Amino acid sequence: MIFSDYLSLFGAEALLTGLALLIIVLGLFMKNKNLIGYLSVAGLAVSMYLVMAADQTRDAVFYGTMQIDALSQFFKLVFIAVTLIVVIAGLSRYKNHPGQDEFYTLLLLATVGMMVVASSMDLISLFIGFELASLATYALAAFDREKQNLEAAMKYFIFGSVSSALMLFGFSLLYGLTGTTMITEIAAAGLADMGPVTLIALLFVIAGFGFKMALVPFHMWAPDTYTGAPTLVTAFLAAGSKKMGFVAAFKVLLIAMIALRMEWYMAFAILAAITMTLGNLVAIWQNNVKRMLAYSSVAYAGYIAIAFVVVGAAAGQVDGFSIAANGLAGGLLLILGHAFMKTGVFVAAAVVAYMALRDGKENPDDIEHYAGLGHRAPITAFCMLICLFSLAGIPPTAGFVGKFVLFGSAIDAGLVWLAMLAILNSALSLYYYLRIIKYMYVNEPTGGKISEPKGYVLALVVALAGVLGIGFFPQVFVDLAYRAAEVLLL
Amino acid sequence: MISNPISLMIVIPLIAAVVAFMTKTRGQARIVALIGSLIPLAISLQMFLEFDKTSKIMQFVESYDWVPSLGVKYTVGVDGIGMPLVLLSTIVSILVVVYAWGENTKPNQFFALLLLNEVGVIGVFTALDFFLFYIFWEIVLIPMFFLIGIWGGPRKDYAAIKFFIYTHVASLVMLLSIFALYFTYRTPAGGRTFDMLTLIQATSDSTLFSPMLLNLIFLGLLLGFLVKMPAVPFHTWLPDAHVEAPTAGSVILAALLLKMGGYGLFRVIMPIMPNVSDHYVTLMAIIGVVSILYGAFLALSQKDIKKMVAYSSVSHMGYVLLGAGAFTWLSVQGAMFQQFSHGLITCVLFMSAGTIQHTAGTRIISELGGLADRMPKFAVLMLMAFMASLGLPGMCGFVAELTVLTGSYETLPVYTLIVIFGGIVVTAGYHLWAMQKVMFGPILKKYLDLHDPHSYELLSMSVLVLLMIYFGVNPAMVMDIMGVAAEQVIEGPVMTLAQMGVI
Repeated sequence: MIFSDYLSLFGAEALLTGLALLIIVLGLFMKNKNLIGYLSVAGLAVSMYLVMAADQTRDAVFYGTMQIDALSQFFKLVFIAVTLIVVIAGLSRYKNHPGQDEFYTLLLLATVGMMVVASSMDLISLFIGFELASLATYALAAFDREKQNLEAAMKYFIFGSVSSALMLFGFSLLYGLTGTTMITEIAAAGLADMGPVTLIALLFVIAGFGFKMALVPFHMWAPDTYTGAPTLVTAFLAAGSKKMGFVAAFKVLLIAMIALRMEWYMAFAILAAITMTLGNLVAIWQNNVKRMLAYSSVAYAGYIAIAFVVVGAAAGQVDGFSIAANGLAGGLLLILGHAFMKTGVFVAAAVVAYMALRDGKENPDDIEHYAGLGHRAPITAFCMLICLFSLAGIPPTAGFVGKFVLFGSAIDAGLVWLAMLAILNSALSLYYYLRIIKYMYVNEPTGGKISEPKGYVLALVVALAGVLGIGFFPQVFVDLAYRAAEVLLL
Repeated sequence: MISNPISLMIVIPLIAAVVAFMTKTRGQARIVALIGSLIPLAISLQMFLEFDKTSKIMQFVESYDWVPSLGVKYTVGVDGIGMPLVLLSTIVSILVVVYAWGENTKPNQFFALLLLNEVGVIGVFTALDFFLFYIFWEIVLIPMFFLIGIWGGPRKDYAAIKFFIYTHVASLVMLLSIFALYFTYRTPAGGRTFDMLTLIQATSDSTLFSPMLLNLIFLGLLLGFLVKMPAVPFHTWLPDAHVEAPTAGSVILAALLLKMGGYGLFRVIMPIMPNVSDHYVTLMAIIGVVSILYGAFLALSQKDIKKMVAYSSVSHMGYVLLGAGAFTWLSVQGAMFQQFSHGLITCVLFMSAGTIQHTAGTRIISELGGLADRMPKFAVLMLMAFMASLGLPGMCGFVAELTVLTGSYETLPVYTLIVIFGGIVVTAGYHLWAMQKVMFGPILKKYLDLHDPHSYELLSMSVLVLLMIYFGVNPAMVMDIMGVAAEQVIEGPVMTLAQMGVI
């Protein structure tokens, strides 16, 4: 393979890495740093094109440690889309901010890390990508350097380090058992016959990824970090970084540890059920919108985890493959949809916080500040409305399509109890989403109309386009998700 | 001849809703709303004229692939079950716009939501793909949530959220049943489909659907529709929603949204009924009778005239359930006509309650009296509607209820007699009592300076009253279609679109 071949496969990663480094250098010399944001937007747009254009024929490169396939490209699209929306919103948020070059650099580096994870077929490269993304986001969580930022970042850092340690310990056990770090070779090594140590390895791997995915009981850091971090960073964490946990778990559990299917299937059935129920129940009581959305994000991790359960339950059934493919495709669609709608709601929350701070209010994320938002900031309110309906699974939106395919596949796999629970949870979640909507449109405004910053508006419109695009034209995305799902199952 | 009339009826109000939302003044918003609901009315009238009234096949069918890999198609069409309801929806929608002509609070949003409602209900009555059907079914909730939440009464928050969550949960239960249908049936080519008629037809194949599975599916679907109708004991969201909703919202809720439940019975439930346990027939009949009686008694005990009208809806929709459960040609036909007739009558009842509220300032029956003295035109219209609602011969309510009861006597004589002896008197009682107390008798001093309501309110009500009389004298106009539809429902089996040769 010559250099140009690599370029066509990893052009996007190379471009973003180069851009991130370039921005650091530029930041030293430039007086008007606002240009850097536009440069990042352009870089992300080009890399999105490169990802879509890449040949998806499962090319293994770098001695088989990385692979370009439908799954990796699917996740890279999700990551780049989230980063793009966050960067666009950042154009307004960090305009004339002295450290804005660092914001964009860290975001881009985190994105590269997540993209490496999406492509990894080896535990070592997966871990490196994971850590690159994590380290960058630790710094981002403290970016505004306010007290609650620092607290959020500290908490995130400690929990993140512990989870990395657990994960790494799990990996080391896997390596010790099988003598290889390659995901496909571990799968072929016959883990099922290696005794109870495999279970310990499994436990540590699930715990390690569980932190990133924010599955109950590994979710404790998420609400605090999401609430305390700068809102745009929260959007990135909830919509992007969390999905990195999912792609890593898909690869390690569904491919490498498929022999232990019965074990993780049970574990995820319980985790999914508890996570969505607890996430929704706690979200109902929140008055801080960011915290409410953080718990809704936890609940979503529970929904998406149903995909693991479906894959586990499908094995041995008559149409096992098509059921598992449905389940995974549903999970992937929900991941894609959640990326857009969660970014959308958090960007909207950022607008409200901006507005509340401008009015000199305490607790900028309190639900009281959403009163009359439909009048005060009509575009923000409308985008948030659609994203909230989408989160609740009301058609025709991305959330509906994802839940529809995923919950349907659970029924197909014979997991009627889990599907029932998920559907009831979905109805339960409607309550707190409707509460925000009620504040936005029913309650009387507490202040005058505000001019919504252009960057935020553009970011919201992009998120809205994603949510409605998937809702109205599901076919394209369903196909993408099925192709990605097949990579994991074949 | 218009090509794609149904899609136009869905798209035009949708576009009009967006335009109305963007308008700046009330004048612009209401003109847009008027045009946006006038065009669908014209299209539906044209469709009604072209409709082949003797045919059992789907007409005006359009079908396009939407999500082929999931077997989802955009398929719409009408037959004898859907056509009268589409007509009803377009008639009611425009008259509601006329009635609400003077809306002052956020008129652009108000009219946009009315139009969005029209989109949803027409979609429900014409969709022939479960995916599409479910989407429209859910879309309807959104404008109604805002109509109650923004323009509602003192407890609007509670009522709006209760309405949304209660009916959403029921829809989700229905969705579970739809999933079960979808995943059990495979097309001859091995794929999946959401096509309603295909799936409903497939339920008659007992090798595919075990009795246990089919009974569960049936129960889920039935629950979804009963909550919407609403039937006792799932009616508790209705009084709250009605009492708090603005008049236009109540009118649409009662006249159109409740009909979605009844439509579901005829379209989905009844074709499956012969294949499920007989107990369900008894269950439906009992729920129907209980709804009629309990609704009537609750109406009798209400202090608020709007709440009384709301409970009368529960009572009247019970006839639909009774007629469907009785499963004879006449009763089913009557139940279909009851849907249509109640749709017209209840509009005027809720408009009356709304007009009383904003002229007299209260809806509490005991605080009103002698309004007819100062509001003679309004009194006439309200009286006509109340008479139609209690089943006065010559108006459409009589025809519908008579047909239901005559038809159901054949298979469910005991239940029918209970209704005749227990329900009808009470129904007459609460209508007459409320009418007498509110409109007649000596006028109270505080109401001396009242006068007739705005001409647009009277216009809207008079058109509806004329329609009530017209369909009371000449019910055959729509009942012929319903007769054919009822025959098709009773005799079965369901034909798929391909078997009908329409796609």
